[in-house]
Formats: sequence, structure tokens, C-alpha cells
Amino acid sequence: MTAAFATGALVISAAMAALSYDLTRRSLLAGRERSAVRAAYLDATVVHGGLGSDNPDIIEVLRSLDTGSTRRAVIHREGRWYARTADAGVTAAIPAALQRLVASGQPGAQRVKTDSGAAVVVGVPLPDSTEFYVVDSLHELQTTLRVMAIVLTLVAAATTVAGAGLGVYTARRVLRPLASVAEAARDITAGNLQARLDPATEPELRQLATAFNEMVDQLAQRLARDRRFAADVSHELRSPLQTLAAAASVLSRHREGTDERTRQALALLTGEIDRFQHLVTDLLELARSDQPPERTPVDVVELAQRVCRSRGHSPALVTTEPGLDSTWRVDPRRLEQAIANLLDNAERHGGGPVAVRLGQADGWRFLEVDDEGPGVPPQDRTVIFDRFVRSRTANARGDSDGTGLGLALVAQHAAAHGGRVCVTDRPGGGARFRLEIPEDPS
Amino acid sequence: MAAVLVIEDDDRIRLSLQMALEDEGYVARSAATAEEGLDLQRREPADTVLVDLMLPGLDGFDCIRQLRRHDDVPIIVVSARSDTHDVVAALEAGADDYVVKPVAIKELSARLRALRRRARPTAPTSPSLVFGDLEIRPLAGEVTVAGRPVALTRTEFRLLCELAEHPGMVLSRQQLLERVWEYSYGDERLVDVHIGRLRQKIEDEPSSPTRVVTVRGMGYKLHR
Repeated sequence: MTAAFATGALVISAAMAALSYDLTRRSLLAGRERSAVRAAYLDATVVHGGLGSDNPDIIEVLRSLDTGSTRRAVIHREGRWYARTADAGVTAAIPAALQRLVASGQPGAQRVKTDSGAAVVVGVPLPDSTEFYVVDSLHELQTTLRVMAIVLTLVAAATTVAGAGLGVYTARRVLRPLASVAEAARDITAGNLQARLDPATEPELRQLATAFNEMVDQLAQRLARDRRFAADVSHELRSPLQTLAAAASVLSRHREGTDERTRQALALLTGEIDRFQHLVTDLLELARSDQPPERTPVDVVELAQRVCRSRGHSPALVTTEPGLDSTWRVDPRRLEQAIANLLDNAERHGGGPVAVRLGQADGWRFLEVDDEGPGVPPQDRTVIFDRFVRSRTANARGDSDGTGLGLALVAQHAAAHGGRVCVTDRPGGGARFRLEIPEDPS
Repeated sequence: MAAVLVIEDDDRIRLSLQMALEDEGYVARSAATAEEGLDLQRREPADTVLVDLMLPGLDGFDCIRQLRRHDDVPIIVVSARSDTHDVVAALEAGADDYVVKPVAIKELSARLRALRRRARPTAPTSPSLVFGDLEIRPLAGEVTVAGRPVALTRTEFRLLCELAEHPGMVLSRQQLLERVWEYSYGDERLVDVHIGRLRQKIEDEPSSPTRVVTVRGMGYKLHR
């Protein structure tokens, strides 16, 4: 943008300068030539008068001319050249063609270059094979033209700079609202649905701003509707579940005195209520997980140990790599759930966790959970983090304990922190789940 | 026998909770609206109140505030709502604990036991703990600031005593959860909101506390 403005200004101002220089030069030269001719004719009249007498002193006639400093007059009479001593060497400046023309009785004028610069030579034929020439110096005019050229060049340069400046200003002015649109879009992508454009600041872009804001409003409304729906569904499911949980507890209390079949059915019922409860909790969590994390400084070692204890594992499972800064700026609730879900996954499908490793390297903080299970086959390593996907081995074992949302939640929580989760083989057998979060959250 | 009042508008939940609590050994009373519950609590005070947030007429938040006006009875919110906003608002209204539906009866029973233990005075280390012009008498359950008595709920009192028994020592939110609420593992918002309520009552300038101070990233401590 700036370059275009500068180039445009340069081209236009250079063309204008060149054109005006040329026109001015032509008109000045033409005017100067006309005045030179007029002056030469006046001089010629004087010379003609002076030569009228018998045996005239030609030099004296020339001296009587008022030629000023720029004009030098010479007379060619009967093959001889006459000039004032001050004007010696002027004859060399008179072109032969002009001499021939004047000798043939025609007056003429021609522009020539002399040793002392450009000049106009005017030749006037006089009676008695006499020719009168005036060499009129254009030195003054050329100085004027040179000054004009310099001035015009400077003006063109200044115009170019001004054009570039205008370009910078215009580019900023035009691009600023676009930059604010881009910034607002980035804000919204990052989860800040409050970001809006102010249509008042850029009147030219009011339409864009209004359309943009309407779009964001719609988006925010739709997201809010989705969230409300998930929350409503979850709430509607929670209330009957509360009744089920309480009623099942009453039944369990009174299971003595009932037969084996009833007790078995009751065990199934309570087990399923428990699973249903987890499913509802996980679903609500998943519905909310697109919201930005509420980050606070968290001692992640302490957090991991606490989660281990709460899941019935030894806190000694947690080890740290050298160079770990154990204070992470994360959403404690979500990191806690991610760790808990990884531990539960190891418990359910990997024969229990054998290590929880915390560390940081290459700008990433990481948490690894190792198990001793059969590992995850390569073809399952990405789908395992999708919703409602259980690994083949889990299905093979007929294990239906989980909600099928645990690892999906881990992936969502990692993504919410700008991180990721993956699974690899643990050296020595088993799976290694690795959750990574960038060290410097943007 | 300990009496529990259940304020819950859903008939089935109310009935099932009442039955389950009775099985756990409580005398359970119930009310379908906040108004009815407040009336019942005035006539026959229960030892603990369970309250739902979404109630017809007076809602759960108002119900908690009304109960708190004349009573330091332990209040547990039993709600289907789990948004931070609701949890914090309910705790700020004066609730002692918050559980999300569906709650297992065993869990609810454990919460009730912890609250009732809190309601009884703990074995004090000394009859009077003095921190500048703040004086705590654990046995009498009294707190004064510059000689002026301060009314604390039992949970706030237990929280203050816990901090006072470790003067100048930082207690993490999890430690406070374990000691005051008897959670092996719980929601730290409970601690933060209760600390906030405590500050409202014992700090001269609750927004810039000088007695109960936050140690960033670690927890809270009571200044000697």
C-alpha cells in the first residue's frame, strides 16, 4: 500500500515536472529568440544608418550599438569581418549555413552552442554586400532553466515522500479496522464471546462491524442454547437419578430377608445407577468443556498425589523429572479430572497405574500415566480419545464399567489448555498416556 | 437422635431422601416449599437442614438467608446445579456445604456426620486464643474483635479455630477441607467462600485482610 502510493506519487510528480519543464523551456526560448531577433533588427537599423555615409568607420558604428553584456555584434562586409575588440572570436560561432542564407539576402536566426554556452545568432542582410550578425547569449536563460529544473526535481521528490506518507497513513487507516476485526475474531476463537466491534469508531466500516457483531451474537446465542440444553438435560436427568439413588439405598438396607435373585437384581440396579450418575456428570462436563479454563497457580505434584490418594492409589506413584517447576498455571478442577480419568483408565484397562511422571521439556509441561496392561494397538491410538469409544481389549473383556467419555474429557481438557494428549507403548510393556500443556499459556 | 429437615419440591426425591435418611438413623422431616420449611424449622428446630436451590416461591438462596437470620443451624445444599456461580452464591448466602445431585446416601450421611461433629465443640488446646485484638474462646464458642462479640456460624468458627490452632502457619485449602469439612478430597471453593464470609465478620477492611491472609498458591494463615 505504502509502496503503491509512493510509486504513484513519484510517477505523477515526475511526469508533471518533466512536462512543465519542457513547456516552460520552449516558451522561454521562443520568447527569448523573438526578443533577440527584435533587438538585432533595431541594431541592424542603427548599423544601416551608420554605414550610409562614405567610407564609414565600421568599428565605430559597432561601438555605437547598445548591446549590453549579452549581445555581441559583428559585420561581414565585402569578405571581411568587423567586430569590436571585446567581441573577438565571435565569428566562429556563426554557422556557415546561416552565413550562406544571409549572404543570399534572407534574414535568419539560429540557436548555437558556443564556447561560452548556448546562444542565438541572428543574421540580417544589409545593402552593399554587408551582413550584420548578432550573437545573443542564452546564458541567463539557461541559468534560469537550471534553477527551475532543480526546483521541479525537489518538488517531485517532496511529492513522492508526501505520497509515501499518505500511503502509510491511508494503509494504517484502512487496515486498522480490519486489524480490529482480526483481533476480535481471534478473541472469539479463544473463547471470549463478549468481543465486539464498535461501529462508531469506523463510520466507513459500520456495515462490516454490524454484520460481524450480529454474527457473533448469533454464535454466542447458539452456544448458550447448546450449553443450556446440555445443562437442562443433565438437570432433568439428575433429579430422577437422585430418587433412584436414595430408593436403591433404602432397598439395599433392606436386602436381608430377600432371596438371591432379588439381591442380584438390586446389585445390578445400584451398579447401573452409579454408572448412569457418572455418565450424566461426564456429559455435563463435556458440554461445558469448550469454555476457557479458569487458570490459577497449582502445585501439580501435590495435586497428582491427592488424586492418586482419592482413587485409592499410592501417592508414591508420582515422580518428577529433574528441572520441573511444579507450579503450573492451569484450571485445577479440569487438570484434576484429567489425571483422575487417566488413572481410572489405567485401572480399568491397564491393570492399574504403575507410574505417574511429571516433567517439562522443550516448552511443554507433561504428565505421563503408565500402566502394565496390553497397551493400545496403533490403529486405536487416535480414536481412543473420541466420545463413546472403548478399546478393543475392553470390549473383549466385556468390561462396561466406564462411561466411554473419560478419555474424551482428558483430550478436551488438554485442548482447553492449548495442549494435547497421546498414547504410546511403555518401554517394557503397557500403555503410556502423555498429557502435554504449553509452558507459557498464550 | 439427630433431626434433619429436607426442603425439596420434588415429591419423589423428598420421599426417597426422607426414607433413606430414616434408614441411616435420622429423624427426617420434610417440606415442599421454603416457606413451609422455615415455618417447620421455627416450630421444631432440626439439627441440620438440606435445601434444594430451585424451589417454587421463595428460592433456595433466599431460604438459606432467612434461615441464617436467626439460626446457625448447619445447612447443606443438595442441588442439581453445579455451576460455579450457583455454588458460590449458595455458600455466600450462608450454606455450610454443597453437594450435587445425585448424591449417594452414604456420602450425604458422611457430610451430615461431619457437620454435626463440627457443631460440637472440639477439644480445645487452651481456653482462650488471642491474636491482637481478636480473641477466640473455643470452649465457649465465642469470638470477640476489640471486645465486641462476633456471631459466627459453626463452620466459620471451626475454620477460625483450625487457623488459630496453627498460628502463623499456612494451611492449604485441601488441609482445611480435610480438617473442617472432613473431605478427603473436595471442592476448594468451599474454603474460599467461607474464608470470605469469615473476613466479612472479623476483618476491619474485608477487601484488604490483615488477620486471615491469603498466601498465594499455598493457602491461608492467621496472622499472629
